[in-house]
Amino acid sequence: MMKRVIGMTLAVMLALPGMSMAAKVKIGFINTITGAEAPIGENLTNGVALAVEDLKKKGIDVDLVKEDDTGKPEKSLSAFEKLATRDNVAGVVGPYTSACANAVASRADQYKVPLLVPAAAKEEITQKGYKYVFRLNAPADVYSSVLMDAVLTLGKPKTIAYVYANTDFGISTVKTAKEYAKKIGLKEVADEKYQKGAPDFRSTLTKIKALNPDLVFMVSYEVDAITLMRQSKEIGLTPKAFLGAGAGFTTDQFLKQKDVSNLVFSSTQWTEDVNWPGAKDFYKRYKAKYHKEPTYHAACAYEAMIIMAETAAKNGGNRDKTRAGLKSGSWNGIMGQVKFVDYGKFNNQNNHEMLVQQIQNGQYETVYPTKYKTRAPIYPFRWK
Amino acid sequence: MTLSVFLQSLISGILIGGVYALIGIGLTIIFGVMRVINFAHGDIMMVGMYLTFYLFTLFHVDPFVSIVITIPLMFLFGAFLQKVFINRIIGTLPQNQILLTIGLGLIISNSAMLAFTSDYKILTTSYSSGSFKLGEISISQPLTASFIITVVITAILYWFLMKTDTGQAIRATAQDREAAQLMGINVSRMSMLAFGIGAAMAGTAGALISPTYYIFPQVGSAFTLKAFVITVLGGMGSIVGATLGGIIIGIVESVGAVAISSDWKDVLVFAIFLLVLLVKPSGLLGRSRM
Repeated sequence: MMKRVIGMTLAVMLALPGMSMAAKVKIGFINTITGAEAPIGENLTNGVALAVEDLKKKGIDVDLVKEDDTGKPEKSLSAFEKLATRDNVAGVVGPYTSACANAVASRADQYKVPLLVPAAAKEEITQKGYKYVFRLNAPADVYSSVLMDAVLTLGKPKTIAYVYANTDFGISTVKTAKEYAKKIGLKEVADEKYQKGAPDFRSTLTKIKALNPDLVFMVSYEVDAITLMRQSKEIGLTPKAFLGAGAGFTTDQFLKQKDVSNLVFSSTQWTEDVNWPGAKDFYKRYKAKYHKEPTYHAACAYEAMIIMAETAAKNGGNRDKTRAGLKSGSWNGIMGQVKFVDYGKFNNQNNHEMLVQQIQNGQYETVYPTKYKTRAPIYPFRWK
Repeated sequence: MTLSVFLQSLISGILIGGVYALIGIGLTIIFGVMRVINFAHGDIMMVGMYLTFYLFTLFHVDPFVSIVITIPLMFLFGAFLQKVFINRIIGTLPQNQILLTIGLGLIISNSAMLAFTSDYKILTTSYSSGSFKLGEISISQPLTASFIITVVITAILYWFLMKTDTGQAIRATAQDREAAQLMGINVSRMSMLAFGIGAAMAGTAGALISPTYYIFPQVGSAFTLKAFVITVLGGMGSIVGATLGGIIIGIVESVGAVAISSDWKDVLVFAIFLLVLLVKPSGLLGRSRM
């Protein structure tokens, strides 16, 4: 009897803090705050900060535990372990890069902590049947297929050349791009991997120019995109279209290089001018607060944090119930319709619709899918 | 590979090789005079790049004109580093010298990160992607300009070392430090001069590459490695050797990327590097030393 009384008292004591602050949830957030990928990581940080503000307005008080993985998988892993065991978070949002997210995903099931990946593209992350791993953004295969679909509505390109960084993101994106190109009958004429950060791509680009491809498909981080386009112009490489798969081709810095970035197509997870609820408003608030344009990473991180915190709050911070909540729920916010489903080889993957944008007169314009179009695409490509 | 593609990559290789040569020359002078391998060389170059960037964005000084300001400033920076730090370890164990210069490099690059953040800086000039046409071949305007400047600077430096009294004193110090001292040459002053010239060369290379490349605090490490390969390939301490080494590396990278594949070009560079060291351990134009 005595034991039961003590047991009950203990149970009440443990439950009480949870009951008195019903809407307080502890969420972990792993991001690349320092290191080479830090400029993009900053977008995720800001997106999450805005999400926390909005959640507070809705009465959900988020106790955010931030961890910096510096872009290294081993640091990401130890951050996740700390969040799972020491901080006892209800769920984790992050990490940013593919390599980090892939490493962390393998531990989510082991610790039974729901993990929501906001913006990492590597397909594998949601292909291994993990029960606790969810992904908001579209995986790497869509980066290339949506671009090719867009171009096919404009003309009849026959050949394609690939130029890409030899990173996880570059290699996995081009691998699926090749499969899709084969399916739609595009002939591959060149496959050129390059070392990230190299100063001179002229010889590679000259070789490609000699092969005269209709499409040039590039996967690059950050400033390599600018170096590649500058040297393409210098050499006079003029395909019918330049296709840039996300990342370096969707940044504000790239946009500012008006001489070389004009008319380049790029795939993106998000733009501010789609009619997804709150997208425009998010863009305005972000710009007012941080004096920079948000990239798609910011929007992904914002929405991921909203989804994770709402679900966790609804389930009182219980990890298993939160997982079930993520699996069964559906949302409609700044990233459009979100639902984590199993399809093809993927599990718990949001079948997100990617967009194609083209730079026209120093602006990113959404040009595909047609229902989100703000401007007509310009094809074929010509130098300014 | 057609002839025009080959010529195109050969010319690009020679032009970019010119800038590599300038980095290598700085390193080789420092080694020649002091027997110190400067592992902070790339980071000194990075300082030159930031200097050029801010001269351009704040005062609108063209990068190629700004070397007139960059060269003396970087010379003073180098002389200061030599006087305060390097001077203390001349003649000590090589590992101490390596630790000191690596440490200096880390301090320089991390201070730059504190001051300028890790954001990439891009210098956009009207000619950043400009080119001339020569038949089917297009030649980069900024690279051509930097190549010409490199040639002029190298020629002046060569004349200075060969013909002037100070130059001869520097060479004497490089040949035999003790004998030079006995002949009345102020060797510690010569060391300061040499380190200053080395830093100025690195800074100039940074300035010349800025219009076509980008700038961030860790940019130096890749160039330190490249400078090291160039210097050893050409023969440590030889200016003509470093020039040759730089141009060879430029050509191998460029032509290798076309002939085989761009992810194999570093393999080619290091294969040639090893081959030269096997056949001629002192480098192409180096003399064996005791």
